[in-house]
Amino acid sequence: MLSAVLRRVFLSLLTLFFLAAFIFAATEILPGDALDVTLSADEMAMMPPERLAEMKRDLGLDRPAVERLGAFLLGVAQLDFGRTIISRAPVVDIVAYPLRNSLLLAGAVIVTALPLALILGVSAARWYRRPLDNVVSTGVIVGYSVPEFVIGTFLVMLFAVTWPLFPATITASTRDPALTLLAAAPLPVATILIGSIAYLARILRVGMVDALASDFVERLRLMGVPEWRVLLLHALPAAVVPSLMATALYAAALVSGIVVVELVFAYPGLGQELVRAVTRREVHVIQAIALASAAIVVVFNLLADLAILALDPRTRM
Amino acid sequence: MGITIRRLLRRPLTALGIVLVLVHLTVALIAPSIVPFDPFKLLDAPLEPPGTTYWLGTDELGRDFLSRLLMGGRIAIVASLAAGFIATLGGGLLGLAMAYYRGPFDDVVSRIVEMKLAIPSILFVSLFVTGFGQSLAVLVFVMAVIKMMGVIRTVRAQGIVLMEQGYVKVAQMRGEHGPAIILREMLPNVADLLTVEFALRTSSALLLVSALSFLGLGLSPPTPDWGLMIHDGLQSIRSEPWLILAPALCISTLVIGLNFATEGIADAVGLEAARGVAGH
Repeated sequence: MLSAVLRRVFLSLLTLFFLAAFIFAATEILPGDALDVTLSADEMAMMPPERLAEMKRDLGLDRPAVERLGAFLLGVAQLDFGRTIISRAPVVDIVAYPLRNSLLLAGAVIVTALPLALILGVSAARWYRRPLDNVVSTGVIVGYSVPEFVIGTFLVMLFAVTWPLFPATITASTRDPALTLLAAAPLPVATILIGSIAYLARILRVGMVDALASDFVERLRLMGVPEWRVLLLHALPAAVVPSLMATALYAAALVSGIVVVELVFAYPGLGQELVRAVTRREVHVIQAIALASAAIVVVFNLLADLAILALDPRTRM
Repeated sequence: MGITIRRLLRRPLTALGIVLVLVHLTVALIAPSIVPFDPFKLLDAPLEPPGTTYWLGTDELGRDFLSRLLMGGRIAIVASLAAGFIATLGGGLLGLAMAYYRGPFDDVVSRIVEMKLAIPSILFVSLFVTGFGQSLAVLVFVMAVIKMMGVIRTVRAQGIVLMEQGYVKVAQMRGEHGPAIILREMLPNVADLLTVEFALRTSSALLLVSALSFLGLGLSPPTPDWGLMIHDGLQSIRSEPWLILAPALCISTLVIGLNFATEGIADAVGLEAARGVAGH
């Protein structure tokens, strides 16, 4: 058991290592170096060549790509993402609070979405192909078909413009305490919730339908086990294991959703920071945000793997 | 074929989906010849209310809003179709090749796919937009790569099932080579799956490209595009809400229609679309 856990932790770290290398290659090796990416072609042409060479030397960009990659990975291992090219501000300071704020949003969404998705998924599977299932399944398709930014703007129109219950944009600032931010964020959370519930309920429904059609459930029913026990104590755990396999996909979709919704509501998280960094071409900030989001997905996936390990004895080899 | 189509149309939601998709495709095709005004031209005062000259009024720069709305799906639809097609074809061939050859090739590609799935789509696009600039070609290429990962997984799993059936062995005994078996024996057997995958990936590419445009990372102004229009409309959400509602309705009905249709097609050919969903 312990070795199985350690193996998965090690594999997650290895994945993160490769992801960091990929992120560096995609932004600083393939298209040129950090300065090529930061400055526009016009700015490059305006600059005297010796000034450009001097800047490259100061930034350490005259070293070969492999050496720069090594330095980047070493920095990442110590949670040091360098400084921004132009303003020389430490990247970690720029990203830390927005990361916390986005995690708050993600946490609030998951805590609310899981029970609701469980109820919807299980009852849809219980009454498979009956009216309730049809309503849930149709609602699920609509839920993941409508883009998050459309749901967000609808909610703003309804609950900030027509009935002004909530502010249209978040007024809390980046370094406010966690509770202040959460209290200001019911509309962003509600927006992401719709897509999340749709996604999770769909996966759970499929798992439950399979589990309920299996032989062991048939046996339990023949033995006279009450239906609620069959549903919640036997079929549900069997349905949760395959659902957990889709955790990485869900976590990645959740992060993408959060990025978009933060822009709709001006919520001070990673999404805002990302769009700002892309427009200002701050390569190092983008790298840090990409790696932080990838780390979120990898950690989620690791937790799911460990949960599978705990739930399914066959995987403990 | 005829029976399949009749069976599709019997389910009301599938029929609704097919109609929605057909309407959107038709409008996108004929838009240039039916728009009342040049969608790029500054015609009048900004934010004119809807009236007899400009049926839906003018946008924040004084361009005819109806003309821009009619044109607003074209680039996004073409980009998504292209990305969906490349993803399905590339992912299909790769997935089958992995199932056929297995071994280290299969292992390496599988690990790469898993790793890619850890980077959220919007971040993945941001990396490439930062590195290679914001152009339509970069956008289509990156979206194709993103959507290909899910196709590879689904088709590989199906390919492994095919490998256990007799005819691949028979073809091997006839002395046929790997590529020929993959193309002639296995590919036709995943045609249904690839059709459903193509529809799924195209609709999720549409969601992705409109979200990117909304964020300012996708299509660039002055292209008429629903995602961009919703972004611009946010400034006047209190006074001119139709500037948001109209493009929001367009993008939503298109994706909902596509997904209703896909669900019906998947059901008709005996596949569960839910298993292929790869998020946005």
